[in-house]
Amino acid sequence: MRRRAIGLSILSSAAVLAVGWQLGSGTQPLSSSVSQATDAAVPGTVTPAAPTTGAATPPATSAPAASASGTFTGASAQTRFGAVQVQIVVADGTVTDVVALQLTDEDQKSVSISNRAEPVLRQQVLAAQSANVQGVSGATYTTDGYLTSLQSALDQAGL
Amino acid sequence: MTVHIFETMGTTVSLRFGGALPSAATLAAVEACFDRFDARFSLYRPDSEISRVAAANLALYRASAELRENYAEALDWRGRTSGAFTPHRPDGVIDLNGLIKAKAMAASAVVLVAAGSTDWLLNVGGDILSSGSVDGSPWSVGIVDPLDAAGMLCAVPLTPGRRAIATSGTAERGEHVWRRDVAGQGDEPAYSQVSVLAADIVTADVLATAILAGGRAQLTSALAQFDIEVLTVDASGGLTATAGLRSGRGLVRA
Repeated sequence: MRRRAIGLSILSSAAVLAVGWQLGSGTQPLSSSVSQATDAAVPGTVTPAAPTTGAATPPATSAPAASASGTFTGASAQTRFGAVQVQIVVADGTVTDVVALQLTDEDQKSVSISNRAEPVLRQQVLAAQSANVQGVSGATYTTDGYLTSLQSALDQAGL
Repeated sequence: MTVHIFETMGTTVSLRFGGALPSAATLAAVEACFDRFDARFSLYRPDSEISRVAAANLALYRASAELRENYAEALDWRGRTSGAFTPHRPDGVIDLNGLIKAKAMAASAVVLVAAGSTDWLLNVGGDILSSGSVDGSPWSVGIVDPLDAAGMLCAVPLTPGRRAIATSGTAERGEHVWRRDVAGQGDEPAYSQVSVLAADIVTADVLATAILAGGRAQLTSALAQFDIEVLTVDASGGLTATAGLRSGRGLVRA
């Protein structure tokens, strides 16, 4: 059951992973439990790199797949986006996130190239006067609508 | 900080400067820039060039180079948005209202820069283009809550790579958004408001319109093609945001 979940989440990220498979070769092996998980979904010559962050399970060959957790980053490869590497986040043996990272030319700092819109929540209601904004963006208002808009309030208050 | 307010294109413009107001001649040149676009491209004016084209009193091939160039640019955007942005009304009439306000804003920016003005914030009916900073800090803008006109969803700074923000909503004047038939897209909610941050106002404005019209498929397509940040509001008030806006003041990751 858990293995099926892994397969589905990997397949849903197939486009991103396609890059990952190309760049997997030549890197040191990931902890065996995660390799097992990925092999279950997509056969191939995948040898992801060692974990870089997170509480990764030590690469004990006897570890069950369900216990792997952490963030794992593959080696970089040249693509049309430039140098790219793929990062996966694993929680209890399930791949929970796949991110394509681009190494910038300047400082080799990684930035995400897969900019996705994800759910967010309002933390607080911001009032224009107290939020220290100079402009308000919204659906186009008419000249009459301006009179009752937040922008008008800001303008009249000299804020 | 100083503010110059004027009306054009059926809406009100709020033009702020980090320092003193520029000369009266510069402000007049900015206003003239908007009026010139409005005079040529407004379908609300029966005497405008585009109204004459719409009424078949002027053949497109005999129209001004400016009109034809803007029409061609709008057609380019239609191609880049898989038709979600279109310069045609459902009845086939050419309608460049979805492009012209942003083009007038970009042209006004050229006027301001040529006059030596570096720190300003131009808000035209809720679409915003910025330059420089105010009191040493980036200009900061809020995104209005479509369910509460007195509240804002978040506040974000406008920086050199993100100088422009545009918001399209179903409450929009005249709603120059022709929703596509979303049959086959399941029960995915349509967005009621879409805000796009970009390096330039034309990209921001066109893509906000396109994503509002084209829904989630168009959002995914736009994010793959363009360097933008997006905040969407769906019909029930649910929010989604790209990485650069998830950290906007007032928002937290769900």
